[in-house]
Amino acid sequence: MSLIGPSRSKGGQKAGARRAENNRIYAHPLPLAFHSSDSAPSRLLALFGISSTRLENPHCEGIFDPATRSVWVINERDSTILWRRGFFGKGDLSRSEPSWLARQINARKAAGKYMTSEEIREKRRAERRQFKLDRAAAIARAAAEAEAAFAEGREAVPVAIPSGATWKPSSSTAESSLPSAPPDAEGEESESDEGEPEEEPLENVEHLQLTLQEAWFLVWNLDCLTVLDPQSNEPMSLRQIWHAFQSVHCIPPELPVYAHRFDNPFLVHYAAYHYYRALGWVVKGGIKFCVDYLLYKRGPVFHHAEFAVVVIPVYEDPADQASSPFTLPNANTFSWTWLSTINRVNSQVQKTLILTYVTIPAQSRVSLELLSSPACLAHYSVRDVVLRRFIPARMRD
Amino acid sequence: MEKHPSYANLSPYLVKYPQVAGALFQTYNDLKLAQQWTGLEIIDVPSCSRCALRGSRPNTEEPLSVVPCSLSESLSTDWIRTTFRELGGPPHVYLAINTEDSSIVYYKISPGIVKPPL
Repeated sequence: MSLIGPSRSKGGQKAGARRAENNRIYAHPLPLAFHSSDSAPSRLLALFGISSTRLENPHCEGIFDPATRSVWVINERDSTILWRRGFFGKGDLSRSEPSWLARQINARKAAGKYMTSEEIREKRRAERRQFKLDRAAAIARAAAEAEAAFAEGREAVPVAIPSGATWKPSSSTAESSLPSAPPDAEGEESESDEGEPEEEPLENVEHLQLTLQEAWFLVWNLDCLTVLDPQSNEPMSLRQIWHAFQSVHCIPPELPVYAHRFDNPFLVHYAAYHYYRALGWVVKGGIKFCVDYLLYKRGPVFHHAEFAVVVIPVYEDPADQASSPFTLPNANTFSWTWLSTINRVNSQVQKTLILTYVTIPAQSRVSLELLSSPACLAHYSVRDVVLRRFIPARMRD
Repeated sequence: MEKHPSYANLSPYLVKYPQVAGALFQTYNDLKLAQQWTGLEIIDVPSCSRCALRGSRPNTEEPLSVVPCSLSESLSTDWIRTTFRELGGPPHVYLAINTEDSSIVYYKISPGIVKPPL
């Protein structure tokens, strides 16, 4: 079954089981979970309007790293919770979920029962390389055949040139296709391996990396993350976190030109991040598709991202832009070639482009003291524009 | 970051070039631990105010050069030319663009026009 073509269901039963498994593991859209007990006393209390629903707060912990401008979640329990409940963060040695330890263990056992998403990616890339080799060979054959036919003065025999849809991996490359890893089974395997290491035991050097926007969302809105100061290992207060996250973009931080700026990159991006998260989208980084963010309806494990978001900052007062020490990307008017390039890249991967305009309040109109607290975020406005290329010949309805 | 095992190798360069410290750290870890490159060495390139990395892919011998940079930087063709010169004119250089969520996007840059292999 070729991995490079559009995927069809690999047999209804396996896909259905995986879907059910995913629905079970990723049931909570946010780290806070509601638990209601269904016992007789609680049902009795419910008649009186007293709810037995309890809020479970996992109280995760992360450490602030100014050099990488992120918050690192090092312990495994917290990174698993933050990933599984809302897809926050990214493993720094993995594509998405921290799976580095599992991949190393798979590699050591050399016959891993389950493949991680990175291993599936490697298999897909190997198949695509083989397809390109086959196609190049077929084109060369067709050219040689045409030359020979012309020299002999006859019609060329048509040579079939494989395309992405028609190519099938040859039997040598198609090894037994391993199912992708259900995370629970992987966890059990790695634990049982610690007991009998062949080489020295593996230390998990991977952490879950949260962007400053994700960390602030968890700290301020859900209160489920504690951020530690990297020097003192003490939990930072909300005010300290608010100021630290803005000053990472100010180099060096003490310069007066950085004081009281509404166009700090953290604030501008947080306005857009908060907007989409509050609407229920899972927001992840979009560097792979030349955009700022990707929006997932439920999460990356369920379906590919439908929307690609580019954040375009707009200054309410042009004088602010002239005096700005930050060069915010996309703050100036863009060219049609830029827009066409990004739209083309994203259409190729079946994503719709959204331009998100974040209006930065004018320093002359809004009091600068508001910047000392998140109250200033109320003055940013977010408008989005969905972009689709219109081809008159093809789109008649 | 100080507690990470890679910090020991990198600390002089992280202190020397604090603006690209995050990019260097992330790229080094990605190449060494995730991509499992062998023979990874750090090359100081003062004229670009950063360090470059050179190593080989697993099971290959050919040395490849990687220059880490961060998404918030702006580069120029002059900068790219200087990089090629300082690294001794390799046939191509990989630019590692680092982001805050630890995604790294690698771009292969060659001086002049190069036909794609396939």
